[in-house]
Amino acid sequence: MTIHNLYIFDRNGNCLYYNEWNRKKQAGISKDEEFKLMYGMLFSIRSFVSKMSPLDMKDGFLSFQTSKYRLHYYETPSGLKFVVNTDLSVTNARDTLQHIYSNLYVEYIVKNPVCVLGHSLDSELFSSRLDAFIRALPYYSPRAA
Amino acid sequence: MSSDKFLQDYLHFTFIQSHIYELSRQRPTDRAVSVSVLEGMGFRVGQGLIERLTRDSPSFKDELDIMKFVCKDFWTKVFRRQIDNLRTNHQGTYVLQDNKFALLTQLSSGKQYLDQAPKYLAFSCGVVRGALSNLGLDSVVTAEVSVMPSCKFQVVIQKL
Repeated sequence: MTIHNLYIFDRNGNCLYYNEWNRKKQAGISKDEEFKLMYGMLFSIRSFVSKMSPLDMKDGFLSFQTSKYRLHYYETPSGLKFVVNTDLSVTNARDTLQHIYSNLYVEYIVKNPVCVLGHSLDSELFSSRLDAFIRALPYYSPRAA
Repeated sequence: MSSDKFLQDYLHFTFIQSHIYELSRQRPTDRAVSVSVLEGMGFRVGQGLIERLTRDSPSFKDELDIMKFVCKDFWTKVFRRQIDNLRTNHQGTYVLQDNKFALLTQLSSGKQYLDQAPKYLAFSCGVVRGALSNLGLDSVVTAEVSVMPSCKFQVVIQKL
């Protein structure tokens, strides 16, 4: 049971934060390209989902899974996008992502006068608290299942 | 209660940040002026605050009593905690140590952004100086930070 990595994007598509805990295989492209690819995919899949939905949509796109991992998505009303890749045993990471937003991002980035919103998140305090939070999650373990 | 705390913090940060933003585009000499303007604003706020807070209290026995009041009741009302450590040389100099100073907790918990800390302390120094002045003590208040969010305020009482 594990978390592989986490991306945070702002509403313009800039990747503000990325960290990985358990990633066995890299994408084979530069980090910049990877972020662009991830954001582009999210953008397309969200508009696809809302267009093709046979019913009225509530939350829209939430997650996708492959045979090895699941990607979870959470978007805040302010346009901030949180993406986390976990293994298949984690069915719902929405609460986790929401917690990361309201208890970590808002506390340590928004309330930090030195951090300019829209720039990449440099605060070490944020980084270390996030790391501690992830490692304390019940479904985190240092070795992949 | 918690939303009012947020407003107070955020207002403080934003007004410092926008005032400070001017600082970064000015020459170093003007920067000192901006910092003293912030301190002056704090002074006026401190004076007013102390009137409200001591409205119903009896008068103080001596200087040490006043400093203890500042460390306990005043600090609790304004910065939501008490001073952790008060030291004095009994000759008018006091060092107040706050290990989790409310205005620095969100900045960092170590050395990151240490150079930015003084700007965010100027207003608070003014608040302390204003409070003491309205209690009858003229002082000079400075603050120093070596590891965030722990902060030391040095108060030197001016004798006539």
